[in-house]
Amino acid sequence: MRYFRLLALFFKSNLLMELEYRANFVAQATLGVLWAGVTFASVTVFFTQTDTLGGWTYEQALVIVALSVLVEGAIQLLLQPNVDKIIQMVREGTMDFVLTKPVNSQFLATLRYARYSGLADMSAGVAIMLWALSRLGYTPEPLALAQFAVMLAASFIIVYSIWLVMATLSFWFVKIDNLTELFRSLFDTARFPVTTFSGWVRIALTFVLPVAFMTTFPAEAVLGKLSGATMIAAVTLAASLFAFSAWFWRRAVLNYSSASS
Amino acid sequence: MWRKYLALGKAAWALIVEYRAQIVIWMMNSILMVIMLLVWLSISRDGEVNGYNSADFVTYFMIGWVVRNLTAVWASWELDFAIREGRLSPMLLRPIHPIHHEIAVNWVEKLLRLLIVTPIVTVVLIATPGVQLNLNPLNLLAFSISVAGAWLIAFMSDYLIGMLAFWTTQTGAFIQGFYGIRLVLSGVIAPLAMFPPAVQDALRWLPFPYMLNFSVSIAMGRVEGEAMLQGFIAQFVWAACFVIAVWVVWKIAIRNYSAVGA
Repeated sequence: MRYFRLLALFFKSNLLMELEYRANFVAQATLGVLWAGVTFASVTVFFTQTDTLGGWTYEQALVIVALSVLVEGAIQLLLQPNVDKIIQMVREGTMDFVLTKPVNSQFLATLRYARYSGLADMSAGVAIMLWALSRLGYTPEPLALAQFAVMLAASFIIVYSIWLVMATLSFWFVKIDNLTELFRSLFDTARFPVTTFSGWVRIALTFVLPVAFMTTFPAEAVLGKLSGATMIAAVTLAASLFAFSAWFWRRAVLNYSSASS
Repeated sequence: MWRKYLALGKAAWALIVEYRAQIVIWMMNSILMVIMLLVWLSISRDGEVNGYNSADFVTYFMIGWVVRNLTAVWASWELDFAIREGRLSPMLLRPIHPIHHEIAVNWVEKLLRLLIVTPIVTVVLIATPGVQLNLNPLNLLAFSISVAGAWLIAFMSDYLIGMLAFWTTQTGAFIQGFYGIRLVLSGVIAPLAMFPPAVQDALRWLPFPYMLNFSVSIAMGRVEGEAMLQGFIAQFVWAACFVIAVWVVWKIAIRNYSAVGA
């Protein structure tokens, strides 16, 4: 209960912050939609030359595009601002203020800040999804929707956990900005069906950096062609990654001695 | 002028060596091209795509990578920073225009990029069977000139956007937005020959194709004769427009500029 009250407080203070810098909000939101367009175009161009990509038709592939824009928006909204802040706090030694508060430090460090312009990206993602589904003339069955909800939650948790691990590494390595940048570059693969790639690239995108679980598999869920095994794998992966990242964070915090000491 | 550039270049080299970590970032910027190449290869496995076979796609993206590195500019970020933080004022006191400093940094940085990119591209192109390049000396000359033109358009358009910082604090969004548009329309994500014909026709009138696709097409021997001449004219006109625009906007901006915190 206390944590919900805190979330409401974070929401309010972040909103006030955004209202303070309205021009920035408008610029970033516009930029988000423009980049959604770039993502959209970079997949659409392939379909001017082919009917299927990795076995996916254009409309089906657009569902994947939509999910990649959606996840990207969520990163902008929550992960990037908080992880940037964590890196900065570790470097400047102000992390002490987070750790000494009587709340779970991971909760406070990863959910404190938000950049609401990320909602523009997310809306663009939803819009692309709805457009693709309507072009398909397809309405998902309740079961497909339920599976989609689970898969989307798993996708968000996987992305969150990976970002938390990257942020935690900043306790040992200072130049961690490059790592989040690397994630975002590799995330460019997320807009394509994972079946587009062959050999070791596909294996890496499924098991090493599990991009397939972030966009392709949730898209399979909403289209009603998800296998039960994939769903179990996704839930297991999300749960274990989350558990690992939380353990890793705790370990880092316990070993942390402030920057000034 | 050349002596000035030599001095600026030496200072810039020291700066670049300092920022070696930046190399990591370029490598990441290149990942997108690798991804796009992989996807194109997945399609061209079954045969030619609009006149491009697998080797052509490899060639396009490799040469494209070289051109992209040679036309990479981030002067706008520096300019935006300098204007907002009031660091521009001491630069204005120097006897030469601040743009020359940025150009020197940019060129020196190009040397470093070439040192990394050229060996990789050479190896890949030699290892790929069926690579077709037009290595005729005249064509190579045309390629070099087109890259110089591409650089001029890229640098001046970037500088122009950086100068928006005289009027707005949101320059970063403009820079990134332009970058995104450039990715699509200059041919980074796909050879422009893959676009629908109507789009290609429209693009010929915009500066973007002359920032990458035009040069790569020359190297691959896909633009010749009259089409090449038309391309060069368009490239020249756009480059001239941007140079003039930078000059005019600078004059207007500097007249109204009052430094922050100086």
